[in-house]
Amino acid sequence: MSNAGIQDGDLLVVDRSLNPHPGHIVIAVLDGAFTLKRLALKNETLYLEADHPNYPPIELWQYEDVQIWGVAVHSIHHLNSIATSK
Amino acid sequence: MTQAMALIDGNNFYAACEQNLNPSLSGRPVVVLSNNDGCIVARSPEARGLGISMGQPYFKVRHELKRLGVVVCSSNYALYGDMSHRLMSLLEKHCEQLEVYSIDEAFAQIHRPHDWDLRPWARQLRALIHQNIGLPIAIGIGSSKVQAKLANHIAKTISIHAGVFDLDITKNQDFWLKTIEIENVWGIGRQMARWCRMKGINTAQQLRDMPSNELHAKFGVRGIRLQNELRGKICLPLKMMPPPKQQTCVSRSFSRPVTSLKELHQVVSSHVIRASEKLRKQKQRAGAITVFTRTSPFSKPFYKQSATTQLNIPSNDTSVLLKASLGLTKQIFQPYHLLIKAGVLMQKLQSTDHLQSSLLDPYNSEDRQRRERLMKTIDKLNEHYGNGTMSWAAGALKQGWEMRHERMSSAMTTQTTRIPIVHS
Repeated sequence: MSNAGIQDGDLLVVDRSLNPHPGHIVIAVLDGAFTLKRLALKNETLYLEADHPNYPPIELWQYEDVQIWGVAVHSIHHLNSIATSK
Repeated sequence: MTQAMALIDGNNFYAACEQNLNPSLSGRPVVVLSNNDGCIVARSPEARGLGISMGQPYFKVRHELKRLGVVVCSSNYALYGDMSHRLMSLLEKHCEQLEVYSIDEAFAQIHRPHDWDLRPWARQLRALIHQNIGLPIAIGIGSSKVQAKLANHIAKTISIHAGVFDLDITKNQDFWLKTIEIENVWGIGRQMARWCRMKGINTAQQLRDMPSNELHAKFGVRGIRLQNELRGKICLPLKMMPPPKQQTCVSRSFSRPVTSLKELHQVVSSHVIRASEKLRKQKQRAGAITVFTRTSPFSKPFYKQSATTQLNIPSNDTSVLLKASLGLTKQIFQPYHLLIKAGVLMQKLQSTDHLQSSLLDPYNSEDRQRRERLMKTIDKLNEHYGNGTMSWAAGALKQGWEMRHERMSSAMTTQTTRIPIVHS
């Protein structure tokens, strides 16, 4: 999610005690997997938006068991590629 | 103002920990196995719904579990311990006084508000814990620990209470106490339960209302305490500081039988290394050490043996304790037995704050301080770089008899290299 300043391989700090609001970068659980999205509110509808244009926004109400697991509050970026690739 | 007692505990704690950090497991039946993948010690509600019962040996139900599509996890105590720590520190913030009772249970003392109703507080706490760490908890409230425990049982088993039940605010307390079988009353031993049944005392309500002198005559102050607690009088107050440990035990079953003295030495040594570490963490020294081993209870002939030695000077120095255990292991070993379990018991523990010096002490005080610094350094290295970074060769480098934990999840919350990955 580079438009949120998050690069591949970054370390995220997630605060589960925050209530998610539109504009937050959130960790959601969709189809049994963690996914990183931006929570958005358009025309009174909540969406989960991906960074990539290939992935259309997900309307929350269409999913029965989508769960907002936590709100990402910081991203720690590795300064060299060695650290990123471990 | 009136004080109330609450018992707060995690529902299916181990299974919930596994599901919480691995979303692919949520909504699926999950069971957690005991050490060495022995038997089932936790079930998710989904697994419970399939009729899988607690305590069943894994090898007996293995195929059935597979057929039912149940996810099987080895126990991951690094994960459960960390989740427990998070749970307890949150509870400490939201309860006036807290006694951590076990890995997933705590007693709390709270003041009742003016309208007497603690349920809003309990519901809020439950929601908070769920949001912050993702674990479901149940809260039972009463006037005493025994009552709180009963209320917790009701909160958990009757779903309309949604995990919260207050025995003191309910109008039909007798009705609820009648639903509790005598064996489910907290603190009642098997012996007392049997005696009650024989006298026709079958429920918590009957125990509460029976003549106290009969209980006193048979069980003394213990029986009276239990009855008073059931009546709502506090006889078992909150223990804020855990009492210092009387003894420390490290024991494990092996993944395969051990038959040679050499291997038994290695096993016992690795337990001694672990137990000494524990002693140093507890700031205690051992005055005596026991080593024990046994075969499987099903094997014929059955063999078990133990040996104890007193230490002239109490110690928590791994080298000293290893030396002491060496002779003990020789004493308990007998060839031609398939040993499947061994352990060490550190006894006569005393605090490191005071040490009686002895003429027999082989170390002078300078030596002693150097040894202590060495232990501290080793502990620090192991803490920082992972267990076993630095150890004693006696514990063996390759441990073929290590515990079985074939299906263990990773230490997701305690090791930076194991943090879960999220895709965007």
